Amino acid sequence: MIGSPDVVAFTKEDEYGQANPDPWAVPEEFSVPLHPLADSNPWAKTSYAKFTKDFILISEFSEQVGPQPLLTIPDDPKVCGTFDLNYFSLRIMSVDYQASFVGHPPGSGYPRLSFVEDSRVVLGDSKEGAFAYVHHLTLYDLEARGFVRPFCMAYVAADERKIMLQFQELSLRFSQASECLKAGNRRAFAKELQRKLQDLEYTHSVLQREEGLQREAGPQCMYSAHAVEKANELANVEKSIYEHRDLLRQISSYHRRPRRDPHAVTCQKCMTECLSECEELLDKYVKLANPFSYCEKEEDGQGQFDDEGGEEEADEEDDEGVKRRPSYTPQLIKAKSAKCFDKRLKTLQELCDETFYDATLELLKETERSFRGDLCYLHTRRLDKALRRKQRVANFLFEEDLGNDDEDEAETVRPFCAVNHAIDSCILLNPPPIVLGPEPLELDALEPPEPLDPTSETSHTQESELGLGESHLESSPSDQTLETQESSEETKGSFSSDKSGVGPSEKQQSLTSMKSEAPDPDSDLTPDPDHNTDLERESSSEEMETTAGDDEGDDGGDQTPVSLLEVVSELKASGEDECGGGNESDLLVPIDTACCMAQEGFLYEASAPETMPCLRQSSHPPPSPTPVVNQEPQALLPLQDDYTVGSPCLESPATGLELPVGHLGDAVSRTSAEDGSDCTMSASTGSDRAASPLGYGGVLTLCHRKKAGQGALRFVRQYPFAMQALWCLLSGRTLVVLGADEGRVRRLVAALALFVPAPGKCGERVQAWLSCPFTLTDLQRWKLIGLQRVASPVGSSMLYSLSRYSRYISILDADQKTLRCPPYRGQLLANVADHRTYIRRGSTYFLHIQSTLCHLAAKAFLFTFTHHLHLPVSATEGPEVVEGRRRCFLQEQLGLGEEDSQILLYLSQLITQQYLQPASGGSAAAPCFSFNYTTSVLYKI
Amino acid sequence: MSSGCPPQSPAVAKSEVAVEGECPLLAATFAYWDNILGPRVRHIWAPKGDQLMFLSDGEVTFLANHTLNGEILRSAECGAVDVKFFVLAEKGVIIVSLIFDGELKGDKNTCALSIILPQTELAFYLPLHTICVERLKHVIRKGRIWMQKGYNIISVLSLEIVPIMELLASMKTHCVPEDIDIKDTVLNDDDIGDSCHEDFLHKAISSHLQTCGCSIVVGSNPEKVNKIVRTLCLFLTPAERKCSRLCRADSSFKYDTGLFVQGLLKDSTGSFVLPFRQVLYSPYPTTHIDVDINTVKQMPPCHEHTYNQRRYMRSELSALWKTDSEEDIPPDTVIHTDETFTPDLNVFQDVMHTDTLVKSFIDEVFMLKPGLSLRSTYLAQFLLLLHRKALTLLKYIEDETQKGKKPFRSLRNLKNDLNLTMEGDLNIIMAFAEKLRAGLHSFVFGKPFYTSMQERDVLMSF
Repeated sequence: MIGSPDVVAFTKEDEYGQANPDPWAVPEEFSVPLHPLADSNPWAKTSYAKFTKDFILISEFSEQVGPQPLLTIPDDPKVCGTFDLNYFSLRIMSVDYQASFVGHPPGSGYPRLSFVEDSRVVLGDSKEGAFAYVHHLTLYDLEARGFVRPFCMAYVAADERKIMLQFQELSLRFSQASECLKAGNRRAFAKELQRKLQDLEYTHSVLQREEGLQREAGPQCMYSAHAVEKANELANVEKSIYEHRDLLRQISSYHRRPRRDPHAVTCQKCMTECLSECEELLDKYVKLANPFSYCEKEEDGQGQFDDEGGEEEADEEDDEGVKRRPSYTPQLIKAKSAKCFDKRLKTLQELCDETFYDATLELLKETERSFRGDLCYLHTRRLDKALRRKQRVANFLFEEDLGNDDEDEAETVRPFCAVNHAIDSCILLNPPPIVLGPEPLELDALEPPEPLDPTSETSHTQESELGLGESHLESSPSDQTLETQESSEETKGSFSSDKSGVGPSEKQQSLTSMKSEAPDPDSDLTPDPDHNTDLERESSSEEMETTAGDDEGDDGGDQTPVSLLEVVSELKASGEDECGGGNESDLLVPIDTACCMAQEGFLYEASAPETMPCLRQSSHPPPSPTPVVNQEPQALLPLQDDYTVGSPCLESPATGLELPVGHLGDAVSRTSAEDGSDCTMSASTGSDRAASPLGYGGVLTLCHRKKAGQGALRFVRQYPFAMQALWCLLSGRTLVVLGADEGRVRRLVAALALFVPAPGKCGERVQAWLSCPFTLTDLQRWKLIGLQRVASPVGSSMLYSLSRYSRYISILDADQKTLRCPPYRGQLLANVADHRTYIRRGSTYFLHIQSTLCHLAAKAFLFTFTHHLHLPVSATEGPEVVEGRRRCFLQEQLGLGEEDSQILLYLSQLITQQYLQPASGGSAAAPCFSFNYTTSVLYKI
Repeated sequence: MSSGCPPQSPAVAKSEVAVEGECPLLAATFAYWDNILGPRVRHIWAPKGDQLMFLSDGEVTFLANHTLNGEILRSAECGAVDVKFFVLAEKGVIIVSLIFDGELKGDKNTCALSIILPQTELAFYLPLHTICVERLKHVIRKGRIWMQKGYNIISVLSLEIVPIMELLASMKTHCVPEDIDIKDTVLNDDDIGDSCHEDFLHKAISSHLQTCGCSIVVGSNPEKVNKIVRTLCLFLTPAERKCSRLCRADSSFKYDTGLFVQGLLKDSTGSFVLPFRQVLYSPYPTTHIDVDINTVKQMPPCHEHTYNQRRYMRSELSALWKTDSEEDIPPDTVIHTDETFTPDLNVFQDVMHTDTLVKSFIDEVFMLKPGLSLRSTYLAQFLLLLHRKALTLLKYIEDETQKGKKPFRSLRNLKNDLNLTMEGDLNIIMAFAEKLRAGLHSFVFGKPFYTSMQERDVLMSF
């Protein structure tokens, strides 16, 4: 199999690494190192660079001083350290990238502008340990040689592989920045040309007048030397006018040229606007076509020229936009110096329209941020996202919401114009807590001092890319500012519920955001804060309990679907009235009166379409006829992705996340209303501190979760019974963290929230801090509660509620450091909650948790969608056999004990519900509400 | 295109290379910086036949010169090979240049070996960039020795330029697609044993993952080979799939160093001769899968493989250094040995380490009904788990060693903490981590010259 055609004979036994010095040995510079540095330290590969982290460098090849660095992003000298920016600029700018003609071609009447495509180069300096993606671009400058100024933007990193592996992303981002900068430069260049033309026209008119006076003063038939000189001067000016007019024509035709760069990023919106505005520009151009208009106007008596100037722009006076901008005073130009203006070269900022320049810098800053960090983490993050997109059906359990990631992904693919969209994009791209604070302030600074009339604002949409009217450009940010402020306020509102000092309007706003964001089916009814009294809540919960008590004798059996297939079977069965009427009136139905104390559990469950909760023993679910789901999960994903609950046909666009309630039973409606009131209560009571990211309206970001990893590691190390606590959370048993110190409780809740399955986009299943008694419905809604311990009448009622529901909940006392919960003897969590773990850092532990939870979610997915587990193989096979098969699968195939099985059962139920909600015809499927009557045990440190 | 180009030097030699199929490579060039005349092109290689884009010799010369501009400032260490990558939209080309120093006519010169492709092939080329660069780098090492001896470097460079043209041409037609339909793989079978034996499948996937996703699949039936190739590629990232090749139905491709998965067809005698050198030069150890006889063999783990590879490279360069005549270019098929190093030709060994990760996955995935995307979802979950575990392991070691400043001494703790007590599981996760952080195996397992057997003893002692 393995060929060795010319094997040289063996000479002696192999001696690894024991080579004798050989005078004929190949010198090291011609060989390869046997033990490169990466072997002894894989992290050392990038450590010998003289800069501390990656940065962006903008350099210029100045015609006066040669290559020079202009600015770095971030603008912090510490980042570059002792790295020689001058030398590196020389290196990256000495690449002959352009190789195209610029300037005045032979045989051409006028100078030609060269429209050069950008070029991209990856190069490095292995000695310095610096590598760079370099994006070369050319800007136009009327005063520069050949009218061009070569620049480059470079992403400098110590890891060459990082650049090459992300070449396309880097190229895309820098192309966006380059297009933005060039668009701004074209506007500035056009503006400069227009001014220059005005100067020339003015000069021409002055010269013409002088010449005319001289002609009139002198004899008719002869010209003085002075007159000849004036005539020549005049001719030069005219020539210069034609040249500049041609340049203006060229720059205005920029967008019409065919693009040779298939990777250039152009904005369609910009192109459309540019086309329309180019017509406007050409219109002006026609007006400028007669360079002697000043003279004609003078002759017509319509315009007066004086040395002060400034009022002769009659051509543009019809343009309202121009009226508002500071009028330009034409300067007298000596004809001889038409091409030799001030030789001070413009700065990059002067070369570019301010708005575009700022937008470019913002884009580059964003680029620097997004590529920050080690390649392996960036790479894994990307893979992680791609894989999570393929398994959306189970993502809701433990994964970060992919909604924004999708936008990110789309953003990287979608070409966009920084000026038209960048500010909006910034809001989308950056997490609100970081960006939205300072953003409006920054944008405020861009607002024009005077308010603009609405007509001018509407005209902004047709703003020209070359926008010679400054007012258009200046007014644009104000629009965006307004939008930004609005959106930021909205976002603030959604975050305000967890902060102190929340005003009533903000509360209402936070409620709105809760309604819109939370997939909680209980939020279908708009809560009325005026009616949210504890009394009502208490009575409602009493009613619930009474209902439950009444139903104790009902032998409804456990109809709760434990898998997707079972639920579907129930759907069909309910259609055939197989469930019977008994279930329809029951909200909470005990299994067996005789074994009330011993019963394993019961739960609320939606039995669509009636949405009647059924009862079952949580660990012994009786089987039911279960037709197969012949529908692949992906078919429903679009609905699931949006966390849509309820029937699409009943949804209005504005209330897309609300549940239809018309066909729901009274009990459910009451529950919903009550939950809504609780929402208000918890939002207000939970607004004491902003310490925890959890709570209503707060989107759980990866950053929050990573921080929580440290807390979780501390918890696991400090509490030997951490495993039991985690088991409670993972098996759906509500855990109450009780404590007097709000900070401590919140920290514990934040740490434990990592283990709450399906916490919701905004952590709706977690109540970080509650200072009033909770009810049974709260337990249905919240799986992790931080509860204040107070020594007051309120406190006693809280303790009462705790003792009242103690059979259904687990209580972690943060003050006493005790845990009361059923015993856990499983092995599934042994690895993630080992207090003797050698994991040192919270971030590492967070990764470990992520892996473990991912593993659990996969097993739950398998259990849920393994068809034969939930279906009778033959008609004669009873539900007991199917149930037995399920148990067998959990115990023998997955090797899970009783308690461990409960985790998978709970996760499987959540997946089933999540999967079926969009298909259940708008049923308000309540989340699983299971209780375990197993005797609780008090754990102490 | 031709406007503005300098006149072509009459001294430029050109080789036309006959390549089967459509070669995306426009040309390869060798240029050097002449101390008097500046950048000069010495040789051009161009594929014979029709191409997507035509470049005249003058244009090629212009572009080749272009790559050396700015290199007058080069201050790299002697022997260093720097890579420059150009995307020149004005010219519509991408150029990959390897800049190195070499002796020409007694003077030290800066040289550039470049390959030129159309810009439209950027997405096609980028995943293959590392493969091309690594292979060219090694031939440059050989070429530098040749230049040092005053011999003609072109013949040495041709040894790799031509195979790279062939590789790119073959990838153009037989590259594994980025998105693989699970229906074309073994994972779509109704039951686990339908296409291949359960143990074989488990062993193949497990070993494939243990060798960093690098495998060769040989067999007599191209369909069967390609089904396994696609199956193995399911466990790769999209970029890695673009570096994998299906087997050709009529005749086999040559083995190509650096590809992740490649299908190879046996000849009429039922055998396929693997070139020892090329297999050893692969960046990762390789799994050898024979679908005819259902065998799975694997090369030693990364650190040992890398060590053997470097030893062999040194041996090869040493042999070249000792060559007395320009005519004696050792062919690639020669197995180089010297007094101090004799390669172990028995590089493929049985898969010894058992795992639970792949075993349970294979057992479980077939429980899900095929054709409903359930298996794809479960596969995504499995891969997500592996990637996350690899990152966790990497972070764990990073914490323990303060980013490599201290030696890693707590392998046992790592295995317990991260639930990687089974050797096969550890190998799989380590392989994933190696791809993220090159050199991790050598760092973790200490002395790089441990053989697999020795390492096994070490692991068993924990």
